[in-house]
Amino acid sequence: MQPQFSKAEVTKVPEGALVHEDATAKWFLISSVAYFFIVGIIALIIAAKFVWPDLMGSMSWLTYGRLRPLHVNGMLFGWLLAADMGLAYYVIPRLCGVPLWSEKLGLATAALWNVIILGAVVTLMAGLNQGWEYAELPWYLDILVVVAWIMFGINVFMTVASRKHQAMYVTIWYTMGCILWTAFVYLTGNFATLFATGTNQANLNWMYVHNAVGLIFTPIGLGIAYYFIPRASNTPLHSHKLSMIGFWSLAFVYVWTGAHHMLHGPISQWLQTIAIAFSLMLLIPVWAVVYNLFATMKGQWHQLRESVPLKFLMSGVVFYLLTCFQGPMHSLRTVNAIVSKTDWIPGHAHMAVLGCFSFFAIAGTYFAMPKIMGKALHSQSLANWSYWMLMIGGLGFFTTLWLGGFWQGWQWNNVSIPFIDTVIALKPIWIVRFLSGIMMFTGIVFFAYNILATALGTHEEAAV
Amino acid sequence: MPATDYTYPSVYFAYLFFFLCFALAVYFCFRSRRDGYWGDEGEDAKFQVFQDDDPKRRTP
Repeated sequence: MQPQFSKAEVTKVPEGALVHEDATAKWFLISSVAYFFIVGIIALIIAAKFVWPDLMGSMSWLTYGRLRPLHVNGMLFGWLLAADMGLAYYVIPRLCGVPLWSEKLGLATAALWNVIILGAVVTLMAGLNQGWEYAELPWYLDILVVVAWIMFGINVFMTVASRKHQAMYVTIWYTMGCILWTAFVYLTGNFATLFATGTNQANLNWMYVHNAVGLIFTPIGLGIAYYFIPRASNTPLHSHKLSMIGFWSLAFVYVWTGAHHMLHGPISQWLQTIAIAFSLMLLIPVWAVVYNLFATMKGQWHQLRESVPLKFLMSGVVFYLLTCFQGPMHSLRTVNAIVSKTDWIPGHAHMAVLGCFSFFAIAGTYFAMPKIMGKALHSQSLANWSYWMLMIGGLGFFTTLWLGGFWQGWQWNNVSIPFIDTVIALKPIWIVRFLSGIMMFTGIVFFAYNILATALGTHEEAAV
Repeated sequence: MPATDYTYPSVYFAYLFFFLCFALAVYFCFRSRRDGYWGDEGEDAKFQVFQDDDPKRRTP
């Protein structure tokens, strides 16, 4: 049980102490949590449409084709990346021992990011879509994303440049890596693809899609886990050198795996083999990260009983291990022949983006928001409930889609089964998917309410 | 090939980006060795997590 401080003690700042304003972190986190809730509604509608395809009739802006990209972009950029950026604004100044380089620039970045997300809602629902996975946003919003990312990068790099400590903790490495890699990955996926045609265009797009997860969400997500697991458990990281091995092996291996999305497709066999080989090599950085974080918790597992952030963090690490074992395995030609394009893939993708990286971001938000606001969390009990709803709902969702995906793949490989029969056969799977979605959405509602009540409510209880 | 097909320039543009990424990774990997991340004091950085000097969380 940590000591409780009175309001007076909390607000009294010792002379000469470093004060983190955290205004940028606060607004990024608040807006990202709001989008998590709003886009969660879209996710639920999509899941319902699998069970009741005629739901919402023929209104064009509520069709599956418009809502699905809105769900993907809203969750990836409105919720997850925005939350990760907010947490980076919280963590980097603390690790550097200096204030954020410019809160004004940070707030301007937060405002611009909200313009982009609101623009995405309008354009995607209006059907203005580039037609590429993860790169659906129109070009003018892409340009705004680049501008916002440069603003974010300048703020982080200038803060790091003025740091108090010479040596940089692994979270700083991952955050800076994420900023540089995102520049390369985003420009390739959203601009270079527009000028390519045919197979090369598809190949560039899949390189972007996989690197969006591997070189954008993975490094910043792992950076968050590397900060909050030691911080929340009050235990030093097992090995900083091992974390460096994980970082550098990720840097060298990840970029070449994207072509495994085109196995058995019209691309060179050598390119497919390279993608498979590098996908298998991903097990090196993954094991370096997972072993390090598990070893950090050695003798500290009992803390999970009391700490909601630790529950989310360590569950996220387990999901990271599972998702990164699945990835290389279904990159093998024989496995890929069954699971590719089936429901297995959204099951896998949701475990990565929700089960792993969103769990890290939720944990970071639960830890950071009370510190930022100088208040206790609105409700520990509600936080616990949010964990169990997301955990049970998520497990139901992932496992159902893996099983359904395998079943679907086997049916597709049997040419005597008409395609429509394979669609009808999956209806029970989609009903469980919808019910699991209700549980996950309930978890999101509990989380969003708890954070917004902590940030915006009048709850003045002393901070922890 | 039509005059408006920019496939090859686009693919080489992507390759150039990733080559730059690779070159920077090689440079900073060797630089990290020079900066002592792999030496005897390589573990010091992990204690920075607990040095955030947050006055709102000081011990009474």
